[in-house]
Amino acid sequence: MRTRLTTLLAFFLFVALAQAAELRPPAQATAGTPFSIASSGAGEGTFYLIGPAQISKRKMNGGEIAVQGDEVEQSGTYTAILCAEQCTSVHFYVRPARPSRLSLLVHPSRVPVAASNAISAVAFVFDWFHNLVLSPQKVDFKVVPPEGAAISQSKTTANGAAWIRLTSARKGGPAKVGASIGDVAEIRVVQQVASDACNLRIKAIPGPNGISVETDPVRDCSGNFVPDGTVVSFTKTDSSGKTTVDAPIKRGVARVEMAVSGPARISVASGVVNGNELSLGGAR
Amino acid sequence: MRKLAMTILRRLILLLAAGLVIVCFSFLQSQIHAAGSLPQVELNADNVGPRGIEELTSKTITRDYANAWKTMAEALDKNRPDLLDGYFTGFAKDKLAQLIAQQKQTGIRIKYDDRGHKVDALFYSPSGDAMQLRDRAQLGIEIRDGGKVIHNEQGPVQYLVLMTPGADRWLVRDLVTTPEVKP
Repeated sequence: MRTRLTTLLAFFLFVALAQAAELRPPAQATAGTPFSIASSGAGEGTFYLIGPAQISKRKMNGGEIAVQGDEVEQSGTYTAILCAEQCTSVHFYVRPARPSRLSLLVHPSRVPVAASNAISAVAFVFDWFHNLVLSPQKVDFKVVPPEGAAISQSKTTANGAAWIRLTSARKGGPAKVGASIGDVAEIRVVQQVASDACNLRIKAIPGPNGISVETDPVRDCSGNFVPDGTVVSFTKTDSSGKTTVDAPIKRGVARVEMAVSGPARISVASGVVNGNELSLGGAR
Repeated sequence: MRKLAMTILRRLILLLAAGLVIVCFSFLQSQIHAAGSLPQVELNADNVGPRGIEELTSKTITRDYANAWKTMAEALDKNRPDLLDGYFTGFAKDKLAQLIAQQKQTGIRIKYDDRGHKVDALFYSPSGDAMQLRDRAQLGIEIRDGGKVIHNEQGPVQYLVLMTPGADRWLVRDLVTTPEVKP
């Protein structure tokens, strides 16, 4: 009877010792911050830490396991494994550190003036280790037009991202679009260019080889000069038929020379905008 | 008596042959699955904003995200960071390349058994240059040290994914496991 009892006790003791050691990671771990994992194991074993971009492996001999900051720089789920006779594992989550970086996407880089909601700015908030900070953060967007007062707007991030839409200013020129969080700021420049031509007008000047037709200085509806290189189409209709000549704007004006025989009509257009029409060889 | 023994022997041989055929068939099937097919990805874009996802973009995202997972599993299994070039960029590529370098250094190998992804599109930027997804993946994850399996688990894992458009495809720019993602 006594022998049986001793055997039974020895068996339970063996089972208890053979059971895998338990790992107890902290409830909250932060990227880049050292911490320790408590272990119930007493003997020798191998400890593994598997993270999103990090694998650690080391021998250990019971007690607490110290995890260095550089072993947990990436946020996400980590798996801690302790292998002695058998392996035991536990998952824990490493949250991002405090916001330290901003990634700002601003589109487009060139935009017509007075275009409604034409500019979009998206800010992604990262910590020092490039982990997307998922907790809500207040991002301050700021637009500084070439003339006039700056406009600011705050947005709270959802899953690390905040965004705004902006209407371009009425005056052309570079506008600075910025985003900041704490003392971290990013700035992009959007070039605001003239919109489509407005009140497009032409005049005819007699020349040695026919007539020279030229536009008044081409501006958009806000008074900005339409950029040089923008194509203006001149169309002549006379007894020989219809002829269209394209000319780019140079120094604010587009100009062509046309041979005219008899009465003719000349019209002008740029993009979707039509200008005035001239009647030659008759009343203007 | 001898006749009975012969009958039993014949049935045993038949049973063994049938078992062998079944084993070979499942092995071949698993090999075909591993080598050729893409993981299943279901994309739900009903609640995405501020921009809606066009049908073609939706198909492209689904295809490219599936390819990203396939190449990631292969890259980790074969310790080949070059396989990441196709569908990863930025932080996601850097982190995975670092993980593969650590695999080589420690002799540890992570193996994914991909059982599908239920993906919700959360955010699509107004200019169409970034998309954020939440992926509820069903995965089998096996971690080996040399020949020894040190960890094996199966179940759901939630990821937050950032994808950006490349020249002819969408690329995974960030891929992070997360305990909870709010819609």
